[in-house]
Amino acid sequence: MDIVEVKQGGVSTFKLQGRLDSNTSQSFEKRLLDAISDGTKNVIIDFKELDYISSAGLRVILKATKTLKRQDGKIMLCAMQDYVKEVFEIAGFDSFLPIVASLDDAFKAF
Amino acid sequence: MSTTGSVSFELRNNLSELATLCEKMEGVGQTLSLSRRCLFEMNLALDELFTNIISYGFRDQSEHFIRVHISADHDVLTVVLEDDGIAFNPIDRIPPEVPCTLDECKVGGLGIHLVKNLMDEVSYERRAGTNVLTLKKSIEKS
Repeated sequence: MDIVEVKQGGVSTFKLQGRLDSNTSQSFEKRLLDAISDGTKNVIIDFKELDYISSAGLRVILKATKTLKRQDGKIMLCAMQDYVKEVFEIAGFDSFLPIVASLDDAFKAF
Repeated sequence: MSTTGSVSFELRNNLSELATLCEKMEGVGQTLSLSRRCLFEMNLALDELFTNIISYGFRDQSEHFIRVHISADHDVLTVVLEDDGIAFNPIDRIPPEVPCTLDECKVGGLGIHLVKNLMDEVSYERRAGTNVLTLKKSIEKS
């Protein structure tokens, strides 16, 4: 999996490419939590190029969301393939995580 | 494997085998012209079960093999996963509360919850020292 991190106007965007599974979730967790502990409060995760996510990936998103909440931060998820979005819905994560259609929409939320 | 037929393979108890699983499933997807969604859901269910087996199934340090048998019968795909790990029926686990709030949300049991929701049928048997998990799903063509 490739992760591209872009900082713009006080928002850090993580663009994910490839597969977020048990093999790749640890490196993503480290990147995300390192950014948060370095002071990042506003996070967008762009799923446009992500082909695959398993519960290991959901776990990282959940952990980051809880950490950001404690620090009065905010997370937005965007541009998911419909079957990736379905995983968030089955897990019930869509009840507390904002999922929007595009990166532009995600930026507008900040 | 056309509209009817089968394929079998073995995976070592190592996370790196997720790549092999994905590759094998791509082949099955192409042969059966599965839709991207259907292939994704099959991949996800097998990933969750395989990851569970290798994380909790073996108490020794030896190499083990997990057997995967996939068969198609017209519009139904059947997958049988067999391992010689400790007896473990994942279906019995108490499912997580869904939906939940952020504070209540726990990740334990989420993988199995996904499997049960994505497959049409999931069954477990302990047979002669082997865990046998059988999954069934209607084939959705691209």
